[in-house]
Amino acid sequence: MKNKKILIIQLLILIIFIITWQYLSDNKIINSFIFSSPKKILLSLYNLYVNNNLFIHIYTTIKEIIISFILGFIISFILAIILYLSNTLYKIVDPYLNVLNSLPKIALGPILIIILGANTKSIIIMALLINILVCFNSIYIGLISCNKYYLLLFKSYNATKIQTIKYLIIPNALINIVSALKINISMTLIGVIMGEFLVSKAGLGYLIIYGTQVFNLSLVYSSIILILIISYLIYIPIILIENKIKKISS
Amino acid sequence: MTKILTLNNISKNYNDIKVLDNINIDINKNDFISLIGPSGCGKSTLLNIISNIDKDYIGTKDIKTNNISYMFQNDCLLPWLTIYQNATLSKIFNKNIDYKYIDELLIKYGLYEYKDKYINSLSGGLKQRLALIRALATKPDILLLDEPFSALDFQTRLKLEDDVKTITTNNNITTIMVTHDINEAISMSNIVITLSNKPSRIKNIYNIDINGTTLEKRLDNKFNYYYNLILSDLNEE
Repeated sequence: MKNKKILIIQLLILIIFIITWQYLSDNKIINSFIFSSPKKILLSLYNLYVNNNLFIHIYTTIKEIIISFILGFIISFILAIILYLSNTLYKIVDPYLNVLNSLPKIALGPILIIILGANTKSIIIMALLINILVCFNSIYIGLISCNKYYLLLFKSYNATKIQTIKYLIIPNALINIVSALKINISMTLIGVIMGEFLVSKAGLGYLIIYGTQVFNLSLVYSSIILILIISYLIYIPIILIENKIKKISS
Repeated sequence: MTKILTLNNISKNYNDIKVLDNINIDINKNDFISLIGPSGCGKSTLLNIISNIDKDYIGTKDIKTNNISYMFQNDCLLPWLTIYQNATLSKIFNKNIDYKYIDELLIKYGLYEYKDKYINSLSGGLKQRLALIRALATKPDILLLDEPFSALDFQTRLKLEDDVKTITTNNNITTIMVTHDINEAISMSNIVITLSNKPSRIKNIYNIDINGTTLEKRLDNKFNYYYNLILSDLNEE
């Protein structure tokens, strides 16, 4: 019952926000050329749809997000396992990881374009550069944070290294792995949109740049809203998994 | 009496500090041994050596079985597994498990009907009982206990002490327990070994000559006699 009330209030806030926006724009209290209005945004989405462009842009961006998200997760997971297995290797690469972590990866954008060309590949590599290190950090912390008594227990069973990782280290790190997925999503979105700003000919990031250049700000707002919806749709299943894990381990 | 475990001149250095010094112990089948000594004197290290967790020591050991179970101070139950999966954890490592026996114990402790639930719903006492079931699942010849009851309240503790004593006696399990609690040591064991402070040496070995259940032993006239002996051993440290 309480949850229902919260949901109603949440929806109410959204509706009031939209109505206020429309009202302010209709009565010229805000400049509708700069701030647009819900109606104008719907119209611009409709125009995109009629011109058969809407789904091309959405598809392009979603494709890039999913490829970068999955690749980024797999690479950082494997990296975390390898560095967990070899502490020496971790110590060797640690300073490099720190330096790379602090580097604003967007600075590498122009070089990427020269090396890979102005295409999807550059966008995906851009996103990977941004998401891998952060995602890796979260997973690695999960792997090394195993309780020493659990490790003793597995030693007392004469467990092999593979058994220990499979049945102890990874399940124990699940919460961190899920939060790595969450971080991964935000980072991937940043990477993909940034990449599209730099090189693309399609996609929602491209629409934002294009809309700004031709001063069609309704188009820009439409793209931002579409990005919001996409990221939220990817977020939901991860939140559901996270809640389930938290319920078990609390 | 058949010997099941012999430690010969076991010594251990940890970062150039001597932790164990010339430990010699003979343990017969079905013995219940308690090791008692000052905090951090290396008692757990000794259990780690017996259970093969710690292979870095000087001296020799002769153990007549590979079927050793270890129960820790911390229940070490895995929260991502159900009660039943926790109880049968050792099957992952290809150990032989007596499923009927596990079911019996789960029923005995009222855990059977919850066996598919996760462990977050269990009280501290039930968690420790489940850890005990997991340790007994392989029907071990030797059971190592590292302060298994220290996190429990007094009532639960008395019950569990009696359970462990009964189960180990009925199943011919040789038990070696590390503890801080003199009462617990005397009421459960037939032999109590006192250890000195670092480096640990064996001070005295007491054969507890009292019969009966753990509670009966606590109420026996001779109980205080052993208590005072052991206490004075510990006070010298």
